[in-house]
Amino acid sequence: MRAATLTLAPASAAGGRPRKLPRPAAGEAPARLEDMPSRTDEDLRRRRFEAAVLPHLDAAYNLARWLVRDDAEAEDLVQTACLRALRFFDGATATNPRAWLLTIVRNAFYSSLDRRRADAGAAPFDEALHTGERGGPDPEAHLLRRADAAHLRQAIAALAPVFREVIVLREIEGLAYREIAEVAGVPIGTVMSRLARARQHLQDHLAAQGLDGGRP
Amino acid sequence: MTCDRAPQLSAYLDGELDLSATLDLESHLETCPACAAQLAAHRALHEAIAAADLRHHPSPEQLRRLRRAVRGRSAPAAPTAAGAPPASRTLRLPATPRLRAAAAIFLVAAAGWLVGRRWPAPLPPTAAPTAADVAPSDVAEQVVASHVRALLAGRPADVVSTDRHTVKPWFAGRLDYAPPVLDLAPAGFPLLGGRLEYLAGQPVAALVYRAGNHLVSLFVWPATRSQAPAGAPAPPSAGPARTPTRTSARRGYQLRTWTQSNMTWWAVSDAAPEALDAFTRALKAASSSS
Repeated sequence: MRAATLTLAPASAAGGRPRKLPRPAAGEAPARLEDMPSRTDEDLRRRRFEAAVLPHLDAAYNLARWLVRDDAEAEDLVQTACLRALRFFDGATATNPRAWLLTIVRNAFYSSLDRRRADAGAAPFDEALHTGERGGPDPEAHLLRRADAAHLRQAIAALAPVFREVIVLREIEGLAYREIAEVAGVPIGTVMSRLARARQHLQDHLAAQGLDGGRP
Repeated sequence: MTCDRAPQLSAYLDGELDLSATLDLESHLETCPACAAQLAAHRALHEAIAAADLRHHPSPEQLRRLRRAVRGRSAPAAPTAAGAPPASRTLRLPATPRLRAAAAIFLVAAAGWLVGRRWPAPLPPTAAPTAADVAPSDVAEQVVASHVRALLAGRPADVVSTDRHTVKPWFAGRLDYAPPVLDLAPAGFPLLGGRLEYLAGQPVAALVYRAGNHLVSLFVWPATRSQAPAGAPAPPSAGPARTPTRTSARRGYQLRTWTQSNMTWWAVSDAAPEALDAFTRALKAASSSS
């Protein structure tokens, strides 16, 4: 089977011809847009989709990379999300394209996770179980401030996915609670309590690593 | 901590508490050292994360693949990809079984869905594009479409500022070139801001100026790319490229395009032709003197 090629060739878009790129010979300059066949409404929709999605690929990759295990899986996840985004794009998702794309990335991750969990026979994440009592005193603020990148990365990666995603969306992507609620598909109150718990877990984790005793 | 205010402390740190809850919490913090310490810890963690710069970035090759997938068309090999093999001319998704299956399902779904759907005309009915309107010089069409789209969305600029020292840096990291952002306020055309646009499959800078009661969208990109205006001379080999202004109109919108200072410029507006001519003259004067 040929390697899959992603082209949009509608069976019969109203009035339009399928878009086919003229294949330049090796070494020639890329085809000019002037040489391409006439635009259709589909082209306009496609351009709007690109304008909505392309600026947020970095953010999509960042979230994906924090959710999965490695770079290749993250790229895979973003590709899957972009395919779905194109399917769902209705030309009018302009209000918050970043949150929209991140929602699709996040949902694509969890649906793949559910498949994997179902395969492995594991129980779904039970949020109530992970809110348990804290052990040990709070780490001192001035020691937390000096926590280094490696420790922080590891601490965030150690969080359960629902806590990791709110931390990433809030602390790294800088989304508002309202936007995080949209991406995670939960009420704002849940975002607030999850963030508080996520921060507590991070502090506990960093404390356990000895950052509250001055040890490296 | 015996106070059950963890969510409020967290929201307070993020500036997400409403006014009454904020006042309530602030007065509580004055009398509760445990909560004050907890807030300080949250704040320290927030600062540590910000300082650590924990954002994951895709590699340039990954970003190239992802952008290609989004555009759904082949892209020329990037000239800066030293040592990288030239990009294949056909788009290939990473050949994993999952993505092949996803692509196959998607193509079938997309074909069926596209046949069944009819898109509403994206432009006002009086300006709906017909086959006769779409000319081979399709960049002009895209320029008008972009301008109209921005007007319809009510958000012609993503970075809103009259200060070019705010607008120009906004494009850094979003474009692989530095667009000239000129101050035309002395000539009567204040800058309103800028946005990112996609013309001919490439991200380009769009700058928004005011001309009286009308908006002007000004697109600028390096002239060495292949979208020089039709009929313009070949891209320059040395010295500042300069071509005369080409005037045209599409569906009531005035267009001006020219090449100057190694950049291709397109200006579009529904202002009167004389106004856009004055704008163009002011821009050329400012561009040659900067």
